[in-house]
Amino acid sequence: MSASSIWSAELRLLLRSGRNLLALILLFVLSSAAVLAGIAEIENQRETIARVEAEQVRDLAAVADANAGPEGDPGYAAYYAFMLTQDPPPPLAFAAIGQRDLQPYVLRVRALGLQAQLYDSETYNPELALPGVFDWAFVLIYLLPLVVIALGHDLVTGERETGRLRLLLSLPGSGLWRRRIGLRYGAVLAALGLPLIVGGIVMAAPATGIAVMLLTAALYCAFWFGLAMLIGASLRTSATAAAAMMGCWIVLTLILPTLANAAIARSVPVAKGIDLTLAQREIVHRGWDVPKEQTFERFFVNHSEWRGKEEFEGRFHWKWYYAMHQVGDEAVAADVAEYRASLSKREDLTRKLGLILPGVGTMTVLHRIADTDILGQLAYQDSIAAYHAGLRQFYYPYLFNDRMFTRGDFAQIPRYETRSGTGSLEIASLIALIILTMLVLVAGALSLSRQASQSRAKSQK
Amino acid sequence: MSAATLIAREEWRVLARNRAGLIASALLVLLILVASFTSLERRSAIEADRERYQTSTDETFDAQPDRHPHRMVHYGQFVFRPIAPLAFFDAGVDSFTGNTIFLEGHRQNSANFAEARQSSLLLRFGQLTPAFVLQTLAPLLIIFLAFASVARENERATLKLMLSQGVSGRSVMAGKLLGHGAIALGVGLPAFAVLIAFAATGAAEWASVALMILGYAAWLLLWAALGVVVSALAGRPRDALAILIGLWMVIVILLPRALPEAASAQSQLATKIETEIALHRDLLEIGDSHDPDDPYFNDFRDQVLARYGVETVEELPVQYAGLVSIEGERLTTQIYADAADRQIASESEQNAFVHAFSIVSPLIAIRQVSMALAGSDPAAHYDFLDQAENFRYDFVQRLNRMQAELLPGIEGEDPRISAAYWQQIPRFAYDTRDPLARPQSLLWPFAVLLGWLAVLAGLAFIAARRIGKSAR
Repeated sequence: MSASSIWSAELRLLLRSGRNLLALILLFVLSSAAVLAGIAEIENQRETIARVEAEQVRDLAAVADANAGPEGDPGYAAYYAFMLTQDPPPPLAFAAIGQRDLQPYVLRVRALGLQAQLYDSETYNPELALPGVFDWAFVLIYLLPLVVIALGHDLVTGERETGRLRLLLSLPGSGLWRRRIGLRYGAVLAALGLPLIVGGIVMAAPATGIAVMLLTAALYCAFWFGLAMLIGASLRTSATAAAAMMGCWIVLTLILPTLANAAIARSVPVAKGIDLTLAQREIVHRGWDVPKEQTFERFFVNHSEWRGKEEFEGRFHWKWYYAMHQVGDEAVAADVAEYRASLSKREDLTRKLGLILPGVGTMTVLHRIADTDILGQLAYQDSIAAYHAGLRQFYYPYLFNDRMFTRGDFAQIPRYETRSGTGSLEIASLIALIILTMLVLVAGALSLSRQASQSRAKSQK
Repeated sequence: MSAATLIAREEWRVLARNRAGLIASALLVLLILVASFTSLERRSAIEADRERYQTSTDETFDAQPDRHPHRMVHYGQFVFRPIAPLAFFDAGVDSFTGNTIFLEGHRQNSANFAEARQSSLLLRFGQLTPAFVLQTLAPLLIIFLAFASVARENERATLKLMLSQGVSGRSVMAGKLLGHGAIALGVGLPAFAVLIAFAATGAAEWASVALMILGYAAWLLLWAALGVVVSALAGRPRDALAILIGLWMVIVILLPRALPEAASAQSQLATKIETEIALHRDLLEIGDSHDPDDPYFNDFRDQVLARYGVETVEELPVQYAGLVSIEGERLTTQIYADAADRQIASESEQNAFVHAFSIVSPLIAIRQVSMALAGSDPAAHYDFLDQAENFRYDFVQRLNRMQAELLPGIEGEDPRISAAYWQQIPRFAYDTRDPLARPQSLLWPFAVLLGWLAVLAGLAFIAARRIGKSAR
């Protein structure tokens, strides 16, 4: 038989089984549905941003109408002009939505204390968020292993049960398992990957990103085939092999991640967020009860360029008001750093867990390259903070030099510029995934060949 | 002893020899216990944290110095949502909702610092609570124990033997259902024991606990019945297992995730930003209190003057600006309340879409029952928001009234009232919501669970007849 006819015979064998065909079609349908759902979600987010942007333009115009004028006070302008920041979905987000369903991707800030604005929530339906998003990453991490189990659990045991195993093993050459497994592996990967590629083209996603996602999927899929070989070679019946693989799936994707999450939440508290909010409020409001010089002195520590311009008549001046808010933010800087460190720490522990749990590792790589994990959200917050600092710098000359704020000045208010993506390749997780996959594949191949040699030894007796 | 009980006892004897089954059962029981204790500990830590925060922010409110009351309107109050006692059993949407709100005058701030926003994506794999184990993992164990129940007898022809000895098909099905039903309840037993012990300490209401146990008993029995029925109808154990795992995957993993996607595609929620912008527009349409020619506030002024029987604002015994603040707060609050109602209505509409599919995926029904009884469902969150908003309105208006009534007697350009007044402002005390206050919300999910059991009973009946026929 020629090589190609062996392959086509194997292919017929694979597809003749109703179960295999059904599993492959199901995977293809689910992967397509997930990509479609992801694209719909991204379109939804884009529409929302466009809607909010239009509203924002009208609102800012109304604020300008009400406050601009030859006598326009910059204090009122800064107080009423909320400025929009937006975080449009990154190009790969359609495949791995991550936290974008509950982290805000539009947020308005004004020149008041940032720390009282930065953690505000946007609306989302908590009950819809509860089960987790249905996207391509979900199909890969949760459902693909089940398809591999359906296709791969009886590769060895099935032949034994039908009594063909001895015969197959006595045939010369070791290409049989390679062909069988390779064919199934290719079919599964194609059913899963084709919708992603089409989705990537539709969404104009960068090819390298899609390639990384496919590579991750290929590794994760290979891990599960390796496990199928390992388990199939060491157990006697298809039923026990299937049960053992299901057990592995339950432990790896349901039990261990949940246990780990509970442990991480316990060991890394994040209460600093509340602490810093409370502390900031105290400082800002105490500003009303302490001598104004005291507030200005603290303000000048980091903004000495305005020293000498703090004097004013009467009881209230906006420059003092905004200085008070600036001081409020600066006073909690240490808390802010600690809060952010605790969030990063949780993310970091999750990444470390991904070094040993392939499902978690896959999740880490996919969402990091898609920039939809908590680091993406932190980067958005950083860009808001930088923008907010610029906003303050914009208003200070008006406030401290007592300049009028006219209609032309409203047009000068800096606008938020969309941050550039911070998606990155999580090399360590990917390497760990490669090593894990290799280990399982080698172990699987070894036990398969050990079985073959045992079987040959038996038949020679 | 009837034939059915004999068959059930024989089934237990066979399963007792199944080592893998025993180990899996033991692991599940262990997992339920681990989940219960870690979750209990987590709940008490959260409870202590929130109590501590509430007490300390209340103390700082009292400790504020003499001030203009309007300053206190913006100093505001932080409120923390107390965690429901049974939330340890089912965390529900608690991790996805903010649990603290900053309350101040004429602004409605969002509930912030939701756990899900501060956790890595790991949280999306699920949270380790007894509810997670019972909803997600227990069905799998029950399937693994039950898939071969009838199919095994069929394949080995022991079924024929039994029938030829005069055992009816109905007895076979009844015996297998009895056997696996008892096992399913046994699987739930540790969780039920934890619930009962918790109720016995007085920490939870007996009625909620009883209904919770009833709900989960129905859920677990449903899977036992499904396992036996599929085993009887599928013929071969292998096919039965494949079908059951497929059903589990669709019911427990796939639909609960895919349906929300469909629901959110149906209607979009308005962002907070849009709501706020619309609010300001609506307010300006009503009137602008700073505009001396504004018709709405001129009317308001005339009414006030008439009420006090004076000619000018200066003659009023109260501070006019304070009265305007009271009126302004009344107007904004009404608009915010309308917006909040609309928001809750559209969320509820999305949820109702998902709930309608609980007929196909009863997981949605048990989840509804479970989080409603645990006090961790969206309704409990809305209730907290509602109570917080009512509280906000009340304390802001009290401060506004202080401004109107007390300030006219105070001289100087920096008028302040005594700090002693802050202690007259009430503190937030969350009135724990009775999950059974609206029992109709539980009717539908319970009906779905019972409906599934009824349909499965019907299928078991058909299977029994088929088995009976095969004997002839």
